[in-house]
Amino acid sequence: MTLPTPRQADLLPAARPTRNQYWLSSAGFVAPAVLLVAVVLYLPFIWTTWISFTEYNGLGDPVWVGLENYREMFADPEFLTSIRNTLFWVVGTIALPVGLGLLIATLSHGMPNATVFRLPFLIPYAVSGVAVGVIWSFVLQTNGALSQALAFLGLPGSELRWLLDDPLNTFVMIGAATWQGAGVNALLFGIGLQSIPKEPIEAARVDGASGFTLFRTMTWPMLAPLTTVVVGLAIVGSLKTFDVIWGMTKGGPGRVSETLALTMFKETFVNNAYGLGAAVALFLTVVTVLASIIYLRRQLADSRSI
Amino acid sequence: MRTKLALATAALTGAALALTACSGDGGSAGGDSESTTIGFFTNKAAWEPSFDDMNTASEDDGFTLDFTGYSDQAAYDAFVKQAFRTNEKPDLFTWQTGPSLGEIVEAGMVAPTTEIWEQAIADGDVEEGLAADYTFDGEQYCVPLNHVYWVMYYNKDIYAEYDLEVPTTWDQLMGNAQVLVDNGVVPFHQMNIIFEFVWFQAILLGLDPQAYDGLADGSTSYTDPSVVEAMTIWHDMQSDGYFVDPGVTTDPQTQLQTGEVAMMYFGTFLTGQLGDIDMVSNEDYGIFPMPNVNPELEERQVVVETGPLCVGAGSANEDAALEYSAWWMGDEAQSAWAESRGDLSFNPDATVADPALAEITAEVSGEGNSIHTRYLEATPVPIYTVAAEEFGAFVTNNDDPMGHLEAIQAEADAYWDEQ
Repeated sequence: MTLPTPRQADLLPAARPTRNQYWLSSAGFVAPAVLLVAVVLYLPFIWTTWISFTEYNGLGDPVWVGLENYREMFADPEFLTSIRNTLFWVVGTIALPVGLGLLIATLSHGMPNATVFRLPFLIPYAVSGVAVGVIWSFVLQTNGALSQALAFLGLPGSELRWLLDDPLNTFVMIGAATWQGAGVNALLFGIGLQSIPKEPIEAARVDGASGFTLFRTMTWPMLAPLTTVVVGLAIVGSLKTFDVIWGMTKGGPGRVSETLALTMFKETFVNNAYGLGAAVALFLTVVTVLASIIYLRRQLADSRSI
Repeated sequence: MRTKLALATAALTGAALALTACSGDGGSAGGDSESTTIGFFTNKAAWEPSFDDMNTASEDDGFTLDFTGYSDQAAYDAFVKQAFRTNEKPDLFTWQTGPSLGEIVEAGMVAPTTEIWEQAIADGDVEEGLAADYTFDGEQYCVPLNHVYWVMYYNKDIYAEYDLEVPTTWDQLMGNAQVLVDNGVVPFHQMNIIFEFVWFQAILLGLDPQAYDGLADGSTSYTDPSVVEAMTIWHDMQSDGYFVDPGVTTDPQTQLQTGEVAMMYFGTFLTGQLGDIDMVSNEDYGIFPMPNVNPELEERQVVVETGPLCVGAGSANEDAALEYSAWWMGDEAQSAWAESRGDLSFNPDATVADPALAEITAEVSGEGNSIHTRYLEATPVPIYTVAAEEFGAFVTNNDDPMGHLEAIQAEADAYWDEQ
């Protein structure tokens, strides 16, 4: 009994696909993703850009008005307040949740059961921003839990109207966001600290560095890649802050605690000025993208020079 | 070849799915012999139990509302406007009277209800005067969902404790407020959101009704002496400690119950909310009409708030929704509604269960009363938006009224110039 011999053709290597065939099959794989991104991201973005040059109240058809919405936007003192508050949020978010996260991570690094120490800080991160707003507005309302506690303890500040007075209300809301966000930053920095090789640190100790000097000269520079990510996320996150403010003051009283994201929402859906809302949205997008690019370029340039 | 075939198949499948998604026919078919399900949308999510009661009431007439409730006004407005750009138009939905109703009528989103109104007026189901809020270019649109008078609620225990009489003049009301302040009780409730405009409305209307009405059509300026005087009265009341701090966000009904405030200028829908926390009318609390600020005025000035129930033009169940609207105006539906809401009805034949509510209705709706539309519904939307922000800030900071009035007038000038 002899085995059937395979045909010659079966033994030859398969013909390589032509460049065209290769391109087509790649396109077939990529197309669904490209289509999805185009439909849910690029098309709305192009539409929003167009709407920002029109006057439109959500009914009927948009009417072309050129740069009128942009002129109106920059002439509105409320918009300038909104930019100011957004800057407060950016600076506040980098200083507080990020700074506090770094502090918690550094202090607990090397501690036995560090995770247990960090856990209470991490739990608020599981709460949605709107819920954080509701909880803190209960605490911070005039004569609310905080004022009553301060009065009971005989401490100053019980007469303060935490959520009514500008810019105090923005500061306490940044405080609420810190309560929520510090834990996750601590977790990220904790991971960063664990990934730092021990040898250079040990060498620095031998050379007599300790405490803050050791942190400043060795740990902090070696954490730089992670800091870039954490701060980058903080900048983008704070530029589009919405949920905590919506839950606490809705941008009020009047419009004193609005950020750009709230201005965009209010102009569009509360005032039905879709064109103006789209102009604010575009402005916010440009600011966010520019801030990200400038920051990342600088950071990456710095890290290349190390 | 195979690749091309796969791509073509995928593309065709996708297109077929998209077409299927676009061609939904909006749920139930109309003309069902058993019961017609009408898609109903509202921004009053908290009223769902009342609409469940109405479904029970409309069972024999063959209507069921499929309830979708929004609790965020902005999200709801955006939803309704977007829905009319699709094939899924709402059969029945709630809205606001005033210029914002005019907007959607003009956009062709609302089915006319002129015949329903004619029949209801002929049957004595609704007072003819109410049609004004629902009339655009001689046709009526929508039917009244609710009908609310704005009146003063007061905590009876506090009134008894300080030996206060129910006031019939503005001076008496201010006298009561002063007695309360002297005893460390906050006389009045107010808010810096949602209802930030109501004291402006009450004081200006009671001072100069003509000026109040003129704000709605642009014939009165917000810097008119009467308006400035009204704001000054309000400013002084705030300075004298007559209002609760707007940063207190406890529910209004709870504030009245606990005595955190003694009085509350509110719509009669508050009766239902007080009932929910077991406060009994004429025992725990009473109601009186807001006295005129200007004693020279011949008639009592009363604010009414009315909200519409509208039929979506071109919706899947338009005819059924119109039939439902006609049923809604009748005695049976309105008695069921008034009972469920613990509120009154626009239909004079509907039974109002709550005695205090029945009394106050008789008091403010008969002879000698002049009825005006609530400020929110009377004011064009862009002006109202700015006014709400300015009044909110004024309630919060009690600063110089002029700056706020000038800001509102700047928006009013821009609006009326465009018209």
